[in-house]
Amino acid sequence: MGTEPSQDSVSLLRQITQGDREAFSHFYDLHASLVFTFAVRILRVQTDAEELVQDVFLSVWQKAGTYSSERGAPEAWLITMTRSRALDKLRARGRRESRVTLLNEPEQLEQVATAERGSIALGEQLAVQGVLTELPEAQRTALQLAYFDGLTQSEIATRLGVPLGTVKTRIRDGLLRLRGLLQPGKGPEGS
Amino acid sequence: MSHEDWLERSDIYAVGALDGEELTEFERHLKTGCPLCEQHLRDTHDALALLPRSLPQMTPPPTIKARLLEQIGVELSPVAAAPQTRLIGWVVWGTALVSACFIIVLQHGLLSNKGRELERLTGMVVDLKTDLTREEAVRQLLAEPDARLIELGGLPASPEASGRLLWNPTSRTGLLLTKKLPIAPEGKVYELWAITGNDPQPAGLFTVDERGNGTLKLPPLADPRAVEAFAVTLEPSGGVPKPTGPMHLLGKL
Repeated sequence: MGTEPSQDSVSLLRQITQGDREAFSHFYDLHASLVFTFAVRILRVQTDAEELVQDVFLSVWQKAGTYSSERGAPEAWLITMTRSRALDKLRARGRRESRVTLLNEPEQLEQVATAERGSIALGEQLAVQGVLTELPEAQRTALQLAYFDGLTQSEIATRLGVPLGTVKTRIRDGLLRLRGLLQPGKGPEGS
Repeated sequence: MSHEDWLERSDIYAVGALDGEELTEFERHLKTGCPLCEQHLRDTHDALALLPRSLPQMTPPPTIKARLLEQIGVELSPVAAAPQTRLIGWVVWGTALVSACFIIVLQHGLLSNKGRELERLTGMVVDLKTDLTREEAVRQLLAEPDARLIELGGLPASPEASGRLLWNPTSRTGLLLTKKLPIAPEGKVYELWAITGNDPQPAGLFTVDERGNGTLKLPPLADPRAVEAFAVTLEPSGGVPKPTGPMHLLGKL
């Protein structure tokens, strides 16, 4: 998880603001899989995820100038945009509780979608998975319900049948651990 | 409230889980420009951005990039026509093309004056009449005020495939056109499903030609519930009451 991809992305975003279509094409190649994967995980309907990928990258083309490195890495900007739009879409369609059954479970999604895993992407994935498996299950579940499923702390408390304070503690502890583990030099492999 | 309390709230805020009065108060606090909370949020967002990388990475269909590049290439052009308008255009052009072929075929038939050739041309005329009947079905469906066009996207079983379903929710009939579906193996057929909630209902069987083009005029669906999505799976010949095979196309209303 070096910083090179981010630096590349920052420079590509600068070029995109100048109307450089080739830079846009490179930027898409670098991040499309991540955005698509994330969108599929939240929306659980592949066609919805495809629409979202198109929508997000069109915004990148139109609004690259609004990105500021002071507000975080380009990947974080892209992910925040994807998550926000995906959750809006999910809420607007009232699908949180009644999703199309054929793509209902993450396991089914993984079977349905072709997981083309390049060596670098796979390496990163395994590294982060390693990090995640180090989180206690209760913390991991609370984080996933909030981040991937868009539930608020009160909704998570209801869903899990635990006090609100417990949910807050699990999220905070999970994030504390995650931040520490994902920081360079503190990861499981010292990356 | 101590600043440690604000930082704790910023964690819940960063994952989008803060709600109620706590959310209102924290957003008010953020508006004061608190540098500690802003930095804390940035760090947390950077860490959270790595969470999607823990998922098995999937590659989007190449058509998305192609469409995007096309879009940014004509960014300043007027907004593209609505799908129904495009379909009408397609129908008009298709009908014109079919008509032109029909005339050429007739002329050719008259000129050739050969029995075998006439027999072949008769077959072509029958095919063309079928095409015209199909176009007429499209026209009739389009004439319905509540007709809807549903785009079906290819799934990993056939990522290049696509489909368009013209659906009339009032008469509960429709017409499905598909492209680039693989030819069904012997003993198999494509089956269309109308999905309501978690319940897929059979909506017709069809096959495709060597180019993957398929057509299905949907029989009126008996189930009165509102359809939420359509999907196409590959099933044993004769069809099945519930899907068993791989899904090739999916589109939602």
